[in-house]
Amino acid sequence: MGADASDLSLVRRVQRGDKGAFDALVLKYQHKLVKLVMRYVRNPAEAEDIAQEAFIKAYRALPQFRGDSAFYTWLYRIAINTAKNAVVSRDRSPIDYDLDRNTSDESYDMQGRMKDSETPEGLVLTDEIRSTVNAAIDALPEDLRTAIVLRELEGLSYEEIAAAMDCPVGTVRSRIFRAREAIDRRLREVFEGGLGRAEELG
Amino acid sequence: MNEELDSQLSAMFDDELPTAECELLARRLSRDEQLKARWGRYAVMGAVIRAERGVRLNAPLAGRVSAVLVAEPSLGSGGTGRVVRRGGLRWWQPVAATGLAAGVAAVSILWLRAQLPLSGKPPAALAAVSPALPGAAVVKASTGSAGRPGESYVVPHPQVLAPVVVPSTELANYVVAHSMFSTPVARRNLLSAFMASEPGGTGPEEVLDDVKRAAQ
Repeated sequence: MGADASDLSLVRRVQRGDKGAFDALVLKYQHKLVKLVMRYVRNPAEAEDIAQEAFIKAYRALPQFRGDSAFYTWLYRIAINTAKNAVVSRDRSPIDYDLDRNTSDESYDMQGRMKDSETPEGLVLTDEIRSTVNAAIDALPEDLRTAIVLRELEGLSYEEIAAAMDCPVGTVRSRIFRAREAIDRRLREVFEGGLGRAEELG
Repeated sequence: MNEELDSQLSAMFDDELPTAECELLARRLSRDEQLKARWGRYAVMGAVIRAERGVRLNAPLAGRVSAVLVAEPSLGSGGTGRVVRRGGLRWWQPVAATGLAAGVAAVSILWLRAQLPLSGKPPAALAAVSPALPGAAVVKASTGSAGRPGESYVVPHPQVLAPVVVPSTELANYVVAHSMFSTPVARRNLLSAFMASEPGGTGPEEVLDDVKRAAQ
Protein backbone atom coordinates (compact mmCIF):
# COMPACT_ATOMS: atom_id res chain seq x y z
CA MET A 1 0.00 0.00 0.00
CA GLY A 2 1.19 3.48 -0.72
CA ALA A 3 0.62 6.71 1.07
CA ASP A 4 -2.41 8.51 -0.31
CA ALA A 5 -3.20 5.47 -2.45
CA SER A 6 -6.93 5.62 -1.74
CA ASP A 7 -7.16 9.32 -2.59
CA LEU A 8 -5.09 8.77 -5.69
CA SER A 9 -7.31 5.94 -6.89
CA LEU A 10 -10.34 8.20 -6.47
CA VAL A 11 -8.56 11.07 -8.19
CA ARG A 12 -7.66 8.86 -11.16
CA ARG A 13 -11.29 7.88 -11.49
CA VAL A 14 -12.37 11.52 -11.49
CA GLN A 15 -9.76 12.30 -14.11
CA ARG A 16 -11.24 9.56 -16.26
CA GLY A 17 -14.68 11.17 -15.97
CA ASP A 18 -16.18 9.53 -12.86
CA LYS A 19 -17.87 12.36 -10.94
CA GLY A 20 -19.08 9.95 -8.25
CA ALA A 21 -15.49 9.45 -7.14
CA PHE A 22 -15.21 13.19 -6.53
CA ASP A 23 -18.24 12.99 -4.22
CA ALA A 24 -16.27 10.56 -2.08
CA LEU A 25 -13.35 13.00 -1.88
CA VAL A 26 -15.68 15.84 -0.89
CA LEU A 27 -17.35 13.69 1.77
CA LYS A 28 -13.98 12.74 3.20
CA TYR A 29 -12.47 16.22 3.39
CA GLN A 30 -15.39 18.64 3.74
CA HIS A 31 -15.15 19.03 7.51
CA LYS A 32 -11.38 19.45 7.49
CA LEU A 33 -11.65 22.03 4.77
CA VAL A 34 -14.39 24.03 6.48
CA LYS A 35 -12.38 23.97 9.69
CA LEU A 36 -9.34 25.19 7.76
CA VAL A 37 -11.25 28.02 6.09
CA MET A 38 -12.66 29.11 9.44
CA ARG A 39 -9.23 30.41 10.31
CA TYR A 40 -9.96 33.16 7.80
CA VAL A 41 -13.69 33.81 8.13
CA ARG A 42 -15.84 33.73 11.23
CA ASN A 43 -19.13 32.65 9.83
CA PRO A 44 -19.47 28.86 9.37
CA ALA A 45 -21.94 29.37 6.53
CA GLU A 46 -19.45 31.61 4.74
CA ALA A 47 -16.70 29.09 5.41
CA GLU A 48 -18.85 26.44 3.77
CA ASP A 49 -19.34 28.66 0.73
CA ILE A 50 -15.59 29.15 0.42
CA ALA A 51 -14.96 25.43 0.91
CA GLN A 52 -17.52 24.70 -1.81
CA GLU A 53 -15.74 27.11 -4.15
CA ALA A 54 -12.42 25.46 -3.32
CA PHE A 55 -13.80 22.01 -4.12
CA ILE A 56 -15.14 23.22 -7.46
CA LYS A 57 -11.82 24.87 -8.30
CA ALA A 58 -10.07 21.65 -7.38
CA TYR A 59 -12.37 19.65 -9.64
CA ARG A 60 -11.68 21.95 -12.56
CA ALA A 61 -7.93 21.87 -11.91
CA LEU A 62 -7.82 18.12 -11.40
CA PRO A 63 -6.56 17.39 -14.94
CA GLN A 64 -3.34 19.13 -13.95
CA PHE A 65 -2.95 17.17 -10.70
CA ARG A 66 -0.19 14.61 -11.26
CA GLY A 67 0.01 13.14 -7.78
CA ASP A 68 3.42 14.64 -6.99
CA SER A 69 2.02 15.69 -3.62
CA ALA A 70 -0.78 14.22 -1.54
CA PHE A 71 -4.24 15.14 -2.76
CA TYR A 72 -5.17 16.78 0.52
CA THR A 73 -2.00 18.90 0.48
CA TRP A 74 -2.94 20.11 -2.98
CA LEU A 75 -6.56 20.71 -1.94
CA TYR A 76 -5.36 22.49 1.20
CA ARG A 77 -3.41 25.01 -0.88
CA ILE A 78 -6.39 25.68 -3.11
CA ALA A 79 -8.61 26.24 -0.08
CA ILE A 80 -6.12 28.60 1.57
CA ASN A 81 -5.82 30.68 -1.60
CA THR A 82 -9.58 30.74 -2.08
CA ALA A 83 -10.10 31.85 1.51
CA LYS A 84 -7.47 34.58 1.25
CA ASN A 85 -8.98 35.87 -1.97
CA ALA A 86 -12.43 35.86 -0.40
CA VAL A 87 -11.17 37.83 2.59
CA VAL A 88 -9.47 40.40 0.36
CA SER A 89 -12.45 40.77 -1.93
CA ARG A 90 -14.84 41.22 0.96
CA ASP A 91 -12.46 43.56 2.74
CA ARG A 92 -12.37 41.61 5.93
CA SER A 93 -9.49 40.96 8.23
CA PRO A 94 -8.53 37.38 8.94
CA ILE A 95 -9.11 36.15 12.44
CA ASP A 96 -6.04 35.83 14.59
CA TYR A 97 -5.82 32.12 15.13
CA ASP A 98 -4.10 32.54 18.48
CA LEU A 99 -7.02 34.61 19.64
CA ASP A 100 -9.30 31.70 18.85
CA ARG A 101 -7.15 29.40 20.88
CA ASN A 102 -7.24 31.71 23.85
CA THR A 103 -10.98 31.86 23.66
CA SER A 104 -12.69 29.09 25.54
CA ASP A 105 -14.37 26.40 23.51
CA GLU A 106 -17.79 27.33 24.84
CA SER A 107 -17.56 30.99 23.90
CA TYR A 108 -16.06 30.16 20.52
CA ASP A 109 -18.86 27.80 19.79
CA MET A 110 -21.41 30.46 20.74
CA GLN A 111 -19.65 33.00 18.58
CA GLY A 112 -19.93 30.70 15.62
CA ARG A 113 -23.55 30.01 16.30
CA MET A 114 -24.49 33.64 16.73
CA LYS A 115 -23.37 34.34 13.17
CA ASP A 116 -24.61 31.09 11.74
CA SER A 117 -27.50 31.35 9.39
CA GLU A 118 -28.58 27.78 9.78
CA THR A 119 -31.92 26.87 11.27
CA PRO A 120 -32.43 25.89 14.93
CA GLU A 121 -33.27 22.38 13.79
CA GLY A 122 -29.93 22.17 12.06
CA LEU A 123 -28.12 23.24 15.20
CA VAL A 124 -29.97 20.65 17.20
CA LEU A 125 -29.05 17.97 14.69
CA THR A 126 -25.37 18.91 14.81
CA ASP A 127 -25.50 18.68 18.61
CA GLU A 128 -27.23 15.36 18.40
CA ILE A 129 -24.65 13.97 16.01
CA ARG A 130 -21.87 15.11 18.29
CA SER A 131 -23.42 13.71 21.45
CA THR A 132 -24.28 10.43 19.72
CA VAL A 133 -20.74 9.89 18.50
CA ASN A 134 -19.25 10.82 21.87
CA ALA A 135 -21.63 8.50 23.68
CA ALA A 136 -20.79 5.68 21.27
CA ILE A 137 -17.07 6.20 21.78
CA ASP A 138 -17.51 6.16 25.55
CA ALA A 139 -19.34 2.86 25.24
CA LEU A 140 -16.56 1.20 23.24
CA PRO A 141 -14.28 -1.39 24.77
CA GLU A 142 -10.95 0.10 25.80
CA ASP A 143 -8.89 -1.43 22.97
CA LEU A 144 -11.32 -0.26 20.27
CA ARG A 145 -11.58 3.24 21.76
CA THR A 146 -7.80 3.58 22.01
CA ALA A 147 -7.33 2.42 18.41
CA ILE A 148 -9.90 4.80 16.89
CA VAL A 149 -8.75 7.76 18.99
CA LEU A 150 -5.09 7.22 18.11
CA ARG A 151 -6.08 7.07 14.46
CA GLU A 152 -8.49 10.01 14.28
CA LEU A 153 -7.16 12.31 16.96
CA GLU A 154 -3.41 11.66 16.74
CA GLY A 155 -3.35 10.74 13.05
CA LEU A 156 -1.13 7.69 13.63
CA SER A 157 -0.72 5.05 10.94
CA TYR A 158 -1.82 1.48 11.55
CA GLU A 159 1.80 0.49 11.99
CA GLU A 160 2.40 3.18 14.59
CA ILE A 161 -0.77 2.20 16.44
CA ALA A 162 0.31 -1.44 16.35
CA ALA A 163 3.61 -0.45 17.93
CA ALA A 164 1.87 1.65 20.55
CA MET A 165 -0.66 -1.03 21.42
CA ASP A 166 1.79 -3.90 21.01
CA CYS A 167 -0.35 -5.87 18.60
CA PRO A 168 -0.26 -6.86 14.89
CA VAL A 169 -1.25 -4.36 12.21
CA GLY A 170 -4.13 -6.62 11.17
CA THR A 171 -5.53 -6.39 14.67
CA VAL A 172 -5.37 -2.61 14.54
CA ARG A 173 -7.26 -2.60 11.27
CA SER A 174 -9.92 -4.86 12.75
CA ARG A 175 -10.24 -2.82 15.94
CA ILE A 176 -10.66 0.43 14.08
CA PHE A 177 -13.21 -1.11 11.76
CA ARG A 178 -15.23 -2.56 14.67
CA ALA A 179 -15.10 0.77 16.50
CA ARG A 180 -16.46 2.52 13.43
CA GLU A 181 -19.17 -0.07 12.99
CA ALA A 182 -20.31 0.38 16.57
CA ILE A 183 -20.43 4.16 16.26
CA ASP A 184 -22.06 3.96 12.85
CA ARG A 185 -24.94 1.86 14.11
CA ARG A 186 -25.97 4.70 16.41
CA LEU A 187 -25.11 7.46 13.99
CA ARG A 188 -27.15 5.95 11.19
CA GLU A 189 -30.23 6.19 13.38
CA VAL A 190 -29.68 9.93 13.76
CA PHE A 191 -29.25 10.51 10.07
CA GLU A 192 -31.89 8.16 8.79
CA GLY A 193 -34.58 8.58 11.42
CA GLY A 194 -33.62 11.03 14.12
CA LEU A 195 -34.78 14.37 12.79
CA GLY A 196 -35.64 13.44 9.24
CA ARG A 197 -32.65 15.37 7.92
CA ALA A 198 -30.63 12.43 6.71
CA GLU A 199 -30.65 13.79 3.19
CA GLU A 200 -28.57 16.72 4.36
CA LEU A 201 -25.51 14.57 4.90
CA GLY A 202 -23.63 15.18 1.73
CA MET B 1 -23.60 -5.33 3.91
CA ASN B 2 -20.51 -7.44 3.40
CA GLU B 3 -18.31 -7.16 6.47
CA GLU B 4 -15.13 -7.66 4.50
CA LEU B 5 -16.17 -4.85 2.18
CA ASP B 6 -16.85 -2.57 5.15
CA SER B 7 -13.48 -3.47 6.63
CA GLN B 8 -11.84 -2.55 3.36
CA LEU B 9 -13.76 0.69 3.28
CA SER B 10 -12.53 1.57 6.77
CA ALA B 11 -8.95 0.78 5.80
CA MET B 12 -9.27 2.75 2.58
CA PHE B 13 -10.59 5.74 4.51
CA ASP B 14 -7.35 5.62 6.52
CA ASP B 15 -5.15 5.19 3.44
CA GLU B 16 -4.18 1.77 4.71
CA LEU B 17 -5.56 -0.39 1.92
CA PRO B 18 -3.25 -1.90 -0.73
CA THR B 19 -3.28 0.04 -3.98
CA ALA B 20 -4.79 -2.75 -6.05
CA GLU B 21 -7.70 -3.11 -3.63
CA CYS B 22 -8.10 0.67 -3.59
CA GLU B 23 -8.67 0.69 -7.33
CA LEU B 24 -11.47 -1.84 -7.10
CA LEU B 25 -13.10 -0.27 -4.06
CA ALA B 26 -12.87 3.24 -5.50
CA ARG B 27 -14.87 2.07 -8.49
CA ARG B 28 -17.55 0.62 -6.26
CA LEU B 29 -17.53 3.59 -3.92
CA SER B 30 -18.18 6.02 -6.72
CA ARG B 31 -21.33 4.12 -7.74
CA ASP B 32 -22.74 2.68 -4.53
CA GLU B 33 -24.72 5.39 -2.70
CA GLN B 34 -25.07 3.28 0.43
CA LEU B 35 -21.32 2.76 0.62
CA LYS B 36 -20.79 6.45 -0.04
CA ALA B 37 -23.13 7.39 2.83
CA ARG B 38 -21.17 5.15 5.17
CA TRP B 39 -17.95 6.73 3.94
CA GLY B 40 -19.45 10.14 4.76
CA ARG B 41 -20.38 9.02 8.26
CA TYR B 42 -16.79 7.88 8.84
CA ALA B 43 -15.78 11.45 8.08
CA VAL B 44 -18.35 12.77 10.59
CA MET B 45 -16.95 10.47 13.29
CA GLY B 46 -13.47 11.81 12.68
CA ALA B 47 -14.70 15.42 12.87
CA VAL B 48 -16.40 14.74 16.23
CA ILE B 49 -13.36 12.94 17.68
CA ARG B 50 -11.11 15.81 16.60
CA ALA B 51 -13.62 18.19 18.19
CA GLU B 52 -13.84 20.33 15.07
CA ARG B 53 -16.01 22.97 16.65
CA GLY B 54 -17.90 25.45 14.55
CA VAL B 55 -18.14 22.93 11.70
CA ARG B 56 -21.69 21.89 10.85
CA LEU B 57 -21.70 18.13 10.79
CA ASN B 58 -24.92 17.94 8.84
CA ALA B 59 -23.93 20.59 6.33
CA PRO B 60 -25.11 19.73 2.83
CA LEU B 61 -21.76 20.77 1.38
CA ALA B 62 -21.10 17.61 -0.61
CA GLY B 63 -24.60 17.76 -2.07
CA ARG B 64 -24.10 21.39 -3.11
CA VAL B 65 -20.76 20.65 -4.74
CA SER B 66 -22.27 17.69 -6.54
CA ALA B 67 -25.18 19.83 -7.76
CA VAL B 68 -22.80 22.42 -9.19
CA LEU B 69 -20.68 19.77 -10.86
CA VAL B 70 -23.70 18.26 -12.59
CA ALA B 71 -23.51 21.15 -15.04
CA GLU B 72 -19.77 20.63 -15.51
CA PRO B 73 -18.53 18.33 -18.25
CA SER B 74 -16.86 15.16 -17.06
CA LEU B 75 -13.10 15.45 -17.00
CA GLY B 76 -12.52 12.43 -19.19
CA SER B 77 -14.96 13.56 -21.88
CA GLY B 78 -14.27 15.87 -24.77
CA GLY B 79 -16.01 18.68 -22.92
CA THR B 80 -13.13 19.09 -20.55
CA GLY B 81 -10.69 18.90 -23.38
CA ARG B 82 -10.59 22.63 -22.88
CA VAL B 83 -8.75 22.17 -19.62
CA VAL B 84 -6.55 19.33 -20.80
CA ARG B 85 -5.78 20.98 -24.10
CA ARG B 86 -4.91 24.23 -22.39
CA GLY B 87 -2.47 22.39 -20.15
CA GLY B 88 -1.10 20.42 -23.09
CA LEU B 89 -0.45 23.47 -25.22
CA ARG B 90 1.29 25.30 -22.46
CA TRP B 91 4.69 23.76 -23.18
CA TRP B 92 5.23 25.47 -26.53
CA GLN B 93 4.16 28.94 -25.42
CA PRO B 94 7.56 29.93 -23.96
CA VAL B 95 9.30 28.40 -26.97
CA ALA B 96 7.12 30.38 -29.35
CA ALA B 97 7.64 33.56 -27.35
CA THR B 98 11.41 33.07 -27.38
CA GLY B 99 11.38 32.38 -31.11
CA LEU B 100 9.31 35.47 -31.80
CA ALA B 101 11.62 37.63 -29.72
CA ALA B 102 14.67 36.20 -31.49
CA GLY B 103 13.07 36.86 -34.88
CA VAL B 104 12.34 40.47 -34.02
CA ALA B 105 15.90 40.93 -32.77
CA ALA B 106 17.35 39.37 -35.93
CA VAL B 107 15.25 41.58 -38.21
CA SER B 108 16.27 44.64 -36.18
CA ILE B 109 19.96 43.78 -36.50
CA LEU B 110 19.67 43.18 -40.22
CA TRP B 111 17.84 46.46 -40.68
CA LEU B 112 20.49 48.32 -38.70
CA ARG B 113 23.24 46.67 -40.74
CA ALA B 114 21.52 47.78 -43.91
CA GLN B 115 21.37 51.36 -42.61
CA LEU B 116 24.95 51.67 -41.34
CA PRO B 117 28.01 52.09 -43.69
CA LEU B 118 29.36 48.58 -43.21
CA SER B 119 30.35 48.23 -46.83
CA GLY B 120 32.47 51.36 -46.84
CA LYS B 121 29.87 53.44 -48.63
CA PRO B 122 28.18 56.06 -46.50
CA PRO B 123 24.42 56.35 -46.56
CA ALA B 124 23.02 58.74 -49.10
CA ALA B 125 22.36 61.48 -46.57
CA LEU B 126 25.86 61.26 -45.16
CA ALA B 127 27.43 61.19 -48.60
CA ALA B 128 25.66 64.41 -49.48
CA VAL B 129 27.12 66.13 -46.45
CA SER B 130 30.56 64.61 -46.28
CA PRO B 131 32.27 66.73 -49.00
CA ALA B 132 31.70 69.79 -46.87
CA LEU B 133 33.26 68.14 -43.85
CA PRO B 134 37.02 67.71 -44.01
CA GLY B 135 36.90 65.25 -41.10
CA ALA B 136 34.38 63.11 -42.90
CA ALA B 137 36.56 63.02 -45.96
CA VAL B 138 39.45 61.83 -43.86
CA VAL B 139 37.32 59.10 -42.27
CA LYS B 140 36.09 58.03 -45.64
CA ALA B 141 39.62 57.79 -46.91
CA SER B 142 40.84 55.82 -43.90
CA THR B 143 37.96 53.32 -43.84
CA GLY B 144 37.80 52.96 -47.49
CA SER B 145 38.49 49.23 -47.47
CA ALA B 146 35.52 46.92 -46.80
CA GLY B 147 37.86 44.52 -45.01
CA ARG B 148 37.71 46.57 -41.81
CA PRO B 149 34.00 46.83 -41.04
CA GLY B 150 34.41 46.88 -37.31
CA GLU B 151 36.07 50.28 -37.38
CA SER B 152 33.05 51.91 -38.90
CA TYR B 153 31.26 51.80 -35.51
CA VAL B 154 34.03 53.49 -33.53
CA VAL B 155 35.26 57.01 -33.40
CA PRO B 156 37.71 57.43 -36.28
CA HIS B 157 41.33 57.57 -35.36
CA PRO B 158 42.79 61.04 -35.65
CA GLN B 159 44.46 61.31 -39.04
CA VAL B 160 47.48 63.35 -39.85
CA LEU B 161 46.53 65.51 -42.79
CA ALA B 162 49.01 65.82 -45.59
CA PRO B 163 50.61 69.30 -45.86
CA VAL B 164 48.56 71.54 -48.02
CA VAL B 165 50.45 72.97 -50.92
CA VAL B 166 48.91 76.11 -52.29
CA PRO B 167 49.87 76.82 -55.88
CA SER B 168 51.99 79.94 -56.35
CA THR B 169 49.49 81.57 -58.67
CA GLU B 170 46.74 81.33 -56.07
CA LEU B 171 49.08 82.76 -53.41
CA ALA B 172 50.06 85.58 -55.69
CA ASN B 173 46.43 86.41 -56.38
CA TYR B 174 45.72 86.29 -52.66
CA VAL B 175 48.57 88.71 -51.86
CA VAL B 176 47.47 91.10 -54.60
CA ALA B 177 43.87 91.03 -53.47
CA HIS B 178 44.89 91.86 -49.92
CA SER B 179 47.78 94.24 -50.68
CA MET B 180 45.87 97.25 -49.53
CA PHE B 181 45.74 95.77 -45.99
CA SER B 182 49.46 95.04 -45.67
CA THR B 183 52.60 97.12 -45.63
CA PRO B 184 55.05 96.88 -48.57
CA VAL B 185 57.72 95.38 -46.28
CA ALA B 186 55.40 92.65 -45.12
CA ARG B 187 54.39 91.88 -48.68
CA ARG B 188 57.98 91.62 -49.72
CA ASN B 189 58.91 89.34 -46.80
CA LEU B 190 56.04 87.02 -47.53
CA LEU B 191 56.81 86.74 -51.18
CA SER B 192 60.50 86.24 -50.41
CA ALA B 193 59.74 83.35 -48.13
CA PHE B 194 57.46 81.80 -50.72
CA MET B 195 60.01 82.08 -53.49
CA ALA B 196 62.67 80.54 -51.31
CA SER B 197 60.48 77.51 -50.60
CA GLU B 198 59.78 76.79 -54.27
CA PRO B 199 62.61 74.91 -55.93
CA GLY B 200 63.76 76.44 -59.18
CA GLY B 201 61.49 79.33 -58.68
CA THR B 202 62.00 82.86 -59.80
CA GLY B 203 63.55 85.60 -57.70
CA PRO B 204 61.61 87.93 -55.42
CA GLU B 205 62.01 90.89 -57.68
CA GLU B 206 60.62 89.07 -60.67
CA VAL B 207 57.67 87.90 -58.70
CA LEU B 208 57.09 91.38 -57.42
CA ASP B 209 57.09 92.68 -60.96
CA ASP B 210 54.56 90.04 -61.92
CA VAL B 211 52.40 91.10 -59.03
CA LYS B 212 52.57 94.74 -59.99
CA ARG B 213 51.65 93.89 -63.54
CA ALA B 214 48.78 91.86 -62.42
CA ALA B 215 47.62 94.71 -60.17
CA GLN B 216 47.67 97.13 -63.04
